[in-house]
Amino acid sequence: MLKTAICDLFGIEYPIIQGGMAYLGTAELVSAVSNAGGLGIIGAGNSEPDWVRQQIRLTRQLTDKPFGVNILLMSPFAEQVVDVVLEERVAVVTTGAGNPGVYIPRFKQAGIKVMPVLASVALAKRLERAGVDAVVAEGMESGGHIGEVTTMALVPQVVDGVQIPVVAAGGIGDGRGLAAALALGAQGVQIGTRFVCSEECIAHPGYKQKILQAHERSTVASGQSTGHPLRCLQNRLTRQFEEMEKAGVSKEELESFGMNRYYQGAIEGNLDNGSLIAGQVAGLIKEIKPVRVIIDEMMTEAEAIIAGLKNSYSED
Amino acid sequence: MATIFERMKAIIVEQLGVEGEEVVPSASFGDDLGADSLDLVELIMTVEEEFSNPTRKIEISDEEAEKMATVQDAIDYLRDLGVEEDEVRKPA
Repeated sequence: MLKTAICDLFGIEYPIIQGGMAYLGTAELVSAVSNAGGLGIIGAGNSEPDWVRQQIRLTRQLTDKPFGVNILLMSPFAEQVVDVVLEERVAVVTTGAGNPGVYIPRFKQAGIKVMPVLASVALAKRLERAGVDAVVAEGMESGGHIGEVTTMALVPQVVDGVQIPVVAAGGIGDGRGLAAALALGAQGVQIGTRFVCSEECIAHPGYKQKILQAHERSTVASGQSTGHPLRCLQNRLTRQFEEMEKAGVSKEELESFGMNRYYQGAIEGNLDNGSLIAGQVAGLIKEIKPVRVIIDEMMTEAEAIIAGLKNSYSED
Repeated sequence: MATIFERMKAIIVEQLGVEGEEVVPSASFGDDLGADSLDLVELIMTVEEEFSNPTRKIEISDEEAEKMATVQDAIDYLRDLGVEEDEVRKPA
């Protein structure tokens, strides 16, 4: 079986980590991923600290395996969510949308493993120095808040820049993606969109269907002008957002226009006017499956690919 | 041999892709020089490398970095750490 440094670091069976998806990284999905041998991650998003605490406790009732919490550093509740994570002694913290430097000493002191999600070699080096245990190098193929570099280009450069294990994210949805990530020097993968289309994920059925119908050009990164671009499936909302950006609407107005859109799309199923966050890998996803099946198939496929690569070319 | 300002200016021009004349002591990294948060991280790492030498390792914390809004702020910070004008840069 394919085991890497990431498996040893987190005490998990397979090097597959669930992305910290806001609203969708709930006890249902997190416990399913951890029970299947991966690492489930509660997505704190912009949720209130009490909700995060409740999800941590619920997850503990559903699994005795390790799991983590993703802290969205832009959230108005980020500071309080950090406190909840420290009080509850969660095994792993991942962070998104910013530099978690100031929080790291407190996590380390509490014995919590820290793995920031980032899209820059310099930030990876700096956070390695600050003592993080691993980093997720996330390419711009990902759904949600994205950087500017592709997974293919970013991952090997981060791997060269740091000594700690690197997890690849962005554009990975099956065993081929996992095998490719390992070839780039990553020790594991983080996956979001593929897990949205799992049976256990609480996403609205209409949103899941939209991902199943998507093809490789169905997503768009909106909000470049705000400095926090977000990759979603193209719909009425993204087109409207694009027009507003072209018309030079202020950053503040765009941000308030975009408020709560993901909840409306992902949970309430407002498919036209909600944000349907998805990565470019959406076009690869054809079926809703149980988490365990997704993970098992990924592992089997990756191992077969790695074993079979030598047969795909001739030596002379 | 170069002043702290000249060394800073060379780094900023190289990293942020701005014109030399834009880099004045009062210029702010974000508003005037167009640096985003990741640009700033790269800039800090390069400044640390440039001004460290075998006897003086410079590590700028996030808190300290946040306080440096302008080029002059960075120069003052380096001076406080004992960086001198026209230092001969020793190989690391």
